[in-house]
Amino acid sequence: MPYNVMIVDDAAMMRLYIASFIKTLPDFKVVAQAANGQEALDKLSATPNVDLILLDIEMPVMDGLEFLRHAKLKTRAKICMLSSVAVSGSPHAAKARELGADGVVAKPSGTVSHDLEEKTGDELARTMRTLVAA
Amino acid sequence: MSDEMDEIWALYADDGAQALDAMEIALDALGAGPAAATDPEVAAFFRAVHTFKGNSRVLGLAVVESRAHYAEDLIGLVRDQGVPWDAEIRDILLMAADTLRVMLEETAATRADVDPAASEPLMHRLKDKIARCTGAAPETAVAEVAVAAPEPVAAVAPQPEPEPAPRKAKARKAAEASPVVAEVAPTPAAPAPVAARVPEPAPQPAKKATGTPRLADDPTYRAIFQGMARDCLSKLRQATGSFAADPDAARSLARREADGLSHAARQMGLDDWEAVLAVYLADADGGIEAIAQLVLHLEDLTDAEAGTSRGAVVSDGDGDVSFFDALREPLDRIARYGTDFACGETPDPDAVAEAVEAVKAVSEPQGFVRVVEAADQLLEAGSAISFRNAELHLYEELGAVEAIMPDAARAAGLSPRGLVQVWCAEHVFDTLGALEYNLNRLRDPETEDRDEEFLAFDRLMRLVRHACAHYEIETAGQLALTLVDLFSRTHISGKAPDAILNHIARGFIDTIELVFDALHQGETPDTASLDKLFEEAANVAFVKDGLVTASAIERRLGLPKEFHRVLSPESVRTAGDALDQGLEFYVLRTDINTDEHLAERFIDWLSSGQAKSITNVTVFEGQNTLFDFLIATALDEPSLSEVLARLDPSLRKLVLLRHLKPTREAVSIADDATGRDADAAAGLPTQPGVTAEMLESLGEIAASQSMVSHILTELADTDLVDSIDSILRTANGDMRRVRTQVRALLGDFTTRLQEVSQLESQLVGQLAQLQEETVEIRSRSIDSVLRPLETFVQTYSRRNRREARFSHTGGEITLDITILDHLRKLLRALVMLRLEQGEAAPSRIHITFQRDEERVLAVFEDDGGAPEVTTALQDIQAGLQKMGGEIRRVALPGKGMRFHISIPLAMVVLEGMVVGVEGVRYVMPVDAIRMILQPENDVRIRISAAEGREMLRIAENELVTVASLGGAPQGAARAEGRRRGVYVVLGTQGRSVAVPVDELIGQQLVLLRPLRGVLSRIENMTGIALLAGGDVGMVVSANMLCAANGSGNGMPSLRI
Repeated sequence: MPYNVMIVDDAAMMRLYIASFIKTLPDFKVVAQAANGQEALDKLSATPNVDLILLDIEMPVMDGLEFLRHAKLKTRAKICMLSSVAVSGSPHAAKARELGADGVVAKPSGTVSHDLEEKTGDELARTMRTLVAA
Repeated sequence: MSDEMDEIWALYADDGAQALDAMEIALDALGAGPAAATDPEVAAFFRAVHTFKGNSRVLGLAVVESRAHYAEDLIGLVRDQGVPWDAEIRDILLMAADTLRVMLEETAATRADVDPAASEPLMHRLKDKIARCTGAAPETAVAEVAVAAPEPVAAVAPQPEPEPAPRKAKARKAAEASPVVAEVAPTPAAPAPVAARVPEPAPQPAKKATGTPRLADDPTYRAIFQGMARDCLSKLRQATGSFAADPDAARSLARREADGLSHAARQMGLDDWEAVLAVYLADADGGIEAIAQLVLHLEDLTDAEAGTSRGAVVSDGDGDVSFFDALREPLDRIARYGTDFACGETPDPDAVAEAVEAVKAVSEPQGFVRVVEAADQLLEAGSAISFRNAELHLYEELGAVEAIMPDAARAAGLSPRGLVQVWCAEHVFDTLGALEYNLNRLRDPETEDRDEEFLAFDRLMRLVRHACAHYEIETAGQLALTLVDLFSRTHISGKAPDAILNHIARGFIDTIELVFDALHQGETPDTASLDKLFEEAANVAFVKDGLVTASAIERRLGLPKEFHRVLSPESVRTAGDALDQGLEFYVLRTDINTDEHLAERFIDWLSSGQAKSITNVTVFEGQNTLFDFLIATALDEPSLSEVLARLDPSLRKLVLLRHLKPTREAVSIADDATGRDADAAAGLPTQPGVTAEMLESLGEIAASQSMVSHILTELADTDLVDSIDSILRTANGDMRRVRTQVRALLGDFTTRLQEVSQLESQLVGQLAQLQEETVEIRSRSIDSVLRPLETFVQTYSRRNRREARFSHTGGEITLDITILDHLRKLLRALVMLRLEQGEAAPSRIHITFQRDEERVLAVFEDDGGAPEVTTALQDIQAGLQKMGGEIRRVALPGKGMRFHISIPLAMVVLEGMVVGVEGVRYVMPVDAIRMILQPENDVRIRISAAEGREMLRIAENELVTVASLGGAPQGAARAEGRRRGVYVVLGTQGRSVAVPVDELIGQQLVLLRPLRGVLSRIENMTGIALLAGGDVGMVVSANMLCAANGSGNGMPSLRI
């Protein structure tokens, strides 16, 4: 059974890139997508069997960090930040860790990273597998 | 007492301001209506004004309290009596909030009640509205004002009370005698809003017999008091734990806590608490037994209190408050079981399970799955430690709940986050010890279960972070979390932490230990090195990839602020390549999020190779999500606009926002300052990333070297002879006909050679810069060792029941970090040795530092007794000998010791003058250079009385020995052939020599390496240094040179 993934990102193109990348991973399946934190919280209630959430940080309505603050209380799903501002050692990455992010991966070239699979694919897949296995 | 009152007034001002803020927020949210009684904002306003009223009452501010009281009654009508919310109520309550804020400011400043006249209009409106809402005549409400204001307690039910009315008079009398009864049993004549909303009071363990109402009857105050009692108990337990190590400090802590709680109990009217605390406080010498006895009594009272508060848990429709209120009692029980466990008594599993079930029963309906899981872990805890860890974990999870419901937690007087922070601060030294061990395990290649160690690192570092939060050391907390992040990523990568990470983590542990040490001593810690570590941690991703930092690119491109701190290593690499290629940089604003086709066209263009996408950021414009792309391309502005127009014929969705002009020189001066300002504004460290600068220098050197290599290869491949032959052949050997061609050929060749020469000069400059940066990064002042040492002396002396003062001179001297590390360990060991002398331990320590070109000299002087030769002292001596240093002890007359310590400068940073003598490069310490001369021949004199030694007149009345660095004695042979030689006059310790040199090359900072093996026999040389340009230079020892040339004739310099 593949692990169920929710993608939360306000950039439609980015959601496409991530979903397309996940299609290449036989052990994962995208079951829900959301364009902001509030929508993600709503969908999380409706989709309780999510195993992993890939979460952007900068989003309208409710950003990723605020979503994390709420979602961590109510879901057992692992949450991996996938954001251009979550570079190693950055304040955003530290904040995400503080709020309980299980994994943090930086998008390689900005909010819309069309080279996600090429540049960060291995790291993202390894992180996803480590988190769901933990 | 004065301090205590100051604190109470400060709390009043702070709490009052918070309550008023909460009132205003609630009123803003409510607007002009409609609103329901169950709206959380109504409850929030009620709570806030109730708190405000209570605080005013505690401080005897009757007028303030009366105004708050009526405001509370008005909102109470909405909440409990179905009075509809309307614009008038909102206006009146806004007026009340404004008036109360003015009153708060005035009373906090004067510490006296306000004049009631100024708030009469407010009272009039409040009473008028209340009267209308309750069906009473407004004029009688107005008539009540004079009664209500000075006596707020009696005026709890502000409904009109026509005078005289025997029945009412009786009721009032009853109210005066027993206000609690009056509140729960209102007069039936009119609706009594206050009475109706007050819950049935819970039975009290000890109620005052007088008719005065007690704060203890107020659930809010009860909750606050319980929180204070828990904190006090925690501190008292801490005092018993640390009593053996420092009885005075423990006793002082216990008395302070007991005194504070006693005061609060008195205010609350809790006689039983006050009595228990009074017994302890009456015993001025109360030892550990008395503290332990107090803990037991307070625990009993806490249990009794918890039992009563169980009944006081109110399901008032506000789930947030109920959650924390309901948790308080089971959490108290869990804390008790933890204490039992720690004292060796295994708690009853059924009792634990019952408490856990109580926590789960509250948490499950809220969907707090992680709190439930954390509670379950308590059931699995089989030891005191595992129980404590599970308890801590539960509190951390509850802290996460608190983070989203801070008001609810505050209202309930419960702060799980605060408790975790206190616990972590109290145990931080244990945590740091465990962390150090853990880090060693992570570094050890033989560690088998590295996963386990990584998880432990994560856990321990988070505990340190909580401790940092307790003391509000923001940078340290951030750094701890950054390390959590960096190590976690390393863990997932399957690798071991590299040298950079280990260095940062080790530096953090060492520094934070001293910081906490200072804080525990009540001193201001030195956190400067944390800033530096933070900077290193922030740049680690770039340094690892061998890149310049993101901020360097930001400055170089002059990026707008939305692009600050978002560049990934990949983006930095792309930008660096684009800079090298001389591409143009643009910012494009794109509105492509809802236009899939345009997005695809645009991304396809970016991927086509015509442009490089460096990064992009989100821009929110109303409901629209736009993206600003930073791109680099060879296209000029018109061509790029044309491309964008082709992709987006509407010309609205792809807009060229900015053309960036990377100008490096301007960046280094102006933008650097801007960058620093921005960093400072963001609360981030502002020191330059030295490592990044070094990497930049290295990059430039590599580029120059590659260019030199390219030209040299070209030149080497050019066969000049063959080319000239070839030209000559075309002219049948007639040189005149092809002279121009040959000259052009040779001219080209010469030009290329000149280019190489220029590049080589450039390389020398870049290498010199790199060298200076290297030296700078390794240099620190001795102060960096002394500041923590000072804290250490104080802490360690107190630990040994002494008070030692520490002073020093010479702390500004800079040394290489390797030497500083030796010095740190040595001085620490010596301090420990001296302070462990018991009665003979010193009360004063002073260290003086000096440095010459070869060694650092420290004189450690104190007023302690003479030490015996112990293993510790032998270890210090052995350690120093191993480094080539020494320590001498001198007993001072009377009392006191002096230790002369000499440490060789294994790698010293030296400002040197590079000179050439017979083709060899020498470095002369700039500090030792007295002058540089180019004298006339007649100023050199041979002194027959000094074995024919040549001397140089350097002033009208001063001669100095001429000492040669080359093979010829005194440089005389070469001096003969030189008309006007150059002399460098070195002086040290009152002696001088003049050294003839062939050329002066220039001044530079060098890293001096001592001579080892056979090289150590070279006379008059301290060591060697790698010079800019790649040469190796011999570093001249001015000390040796002056001493050696002085010993022969006893007159190295001669004053006439």
